Amino acid sequence: GAREDMASFTRGLKGLDGEFTQRVFDANGKLKETSTGKVAVSAPRQFRWEYLTPYPQLIVADGRTVWIYDPDLAQVTRRPQGVEEQNNPLGALVDPSRLDAQFTVTEAGQADGLSWLTLSPKDAADASFSSARLGFRGGALARMSIVDTLGQRTEIEFSPWTRNPGFAKGTFSYTPPEDVDVIGEG
Amino acid sequence: CAGMPKAQRGLPPAERAVAEAHQQAREDALRAVTDWSLSGRVAVSMAGQGGSGRLEWRQQGDRFDIQLSAPVTRQSWRLAVGPDGARLDGVEGGPWTGRDADLLLYEATGWYLPVSALADWARGLRATAGGPAGEVYAADGRLAVLEQDGWHIEYAWPEAADGVDLPRRIDARSDGVDGRQARVRLVVDQWQVDAPRAAALPGSEGAGGGGG
Repeated sequence: GAREDMASFTRGLKGLDGEFTQRVFDANGKLKETSTGKVAVSAPRQFRWEYLTPYPQLIVADGRTVWIYDPDLAQVTRRPQGVEEQNNPLGALVDPSRLDAQFTVTEAGQADGLSWLTLSPKDAADASFSSARLGFRGGALARMSIVDTLGQRTEIEFSPWTRNPGFAKGTFSYTPPEDVDVIGEG
Repeated sequence: CAGMPKAQRGLPPAERAVAEAHQQAREDALRAVTDWSLSGRVAVSMAGQGGSGRLEWRQQGDRFDIQLSAPVTRQSWRLAVGPDGARLDGVEGGPWTGRDADLLLYEATGWYLPVSALADWARGLRATAGGPAGEVYAADGRLAVLEQDGWHIEYAWPEAADGVDLPRRIDARSDGVDGRQARVRLVVDQWQVDAPRAAALPGSEGAGGGGG
């Protein structure tokens, strides 16, 4: 089942590199937005989430701070990483101890040819979503499905992962360009 | 994308009169539309605090509904505003309710958005409930800068527009939000406004290349 898939997927996992397609559905199930991009995760607490279409946006978690850069808005938002981690179950995959600390993990059966796990945040007040589900195919994470507090559903489909890749220098560090507003605390 | 149109401090009187007439025609046409929506992205900051996210704004008569989704998990909040007050959902400790939508959003999220005025400013209109406004028009006769209620708002417009012109981007700044600098940057990806076709852009045949 999904639990074994998860175990084999996270065993010896230090880093992930892949691409994604993200679809956001409103509370009535209507597709609102489709975006694509690249994602990289590195143990224990670094991740890089780069939206490419329909417009660019970069999110880098360097281990201490999460940077969100919107080029079209010429603004960088920075936040302490602690809060952000609760919002992104993907990061917990490379740090299983954190996964169990933050989420109650339960089997959610088979659907769409995937075997599913449900992650419920242990500290419901802090989490920004009501439920997250991870879908596995052939022992690899294929999909992440998140429903937020307004019933909006985000489905993220991952392309085949590269496991434990060698990351280019600077993949998980970020320095804001000159001509942008840097805001937020952290 | 092209920078904002060069806002000359003032067009020659004749051209300014034409631009003002065009703006008035736009305002009359757009105020006649009671049901419109936009989707885009917004960045908000006040004294170094704030954030950014995907914005959807739906106006129906004197009620409007704003939904914001933040990146990755699309953590979102929804602000519903009507004549009877405002209600904010999706934020911890919510739902929040209050009379003043701007204040309610600020108290719950730390984001300062001049919500009611923005319903007009985003469409390139002077806010009906606002105080006296000052406008600067660009060479192509379109609104380049609007100043009202202590806010300085710069506009970028699409190249060619069929029907009524609607801004592609606004960049609003104020120094007067309890003495601190507030900023709202909105990029509109899509408008849904079925406004009647406004008068053709005056002087567009003779004027130089359009801004935006």
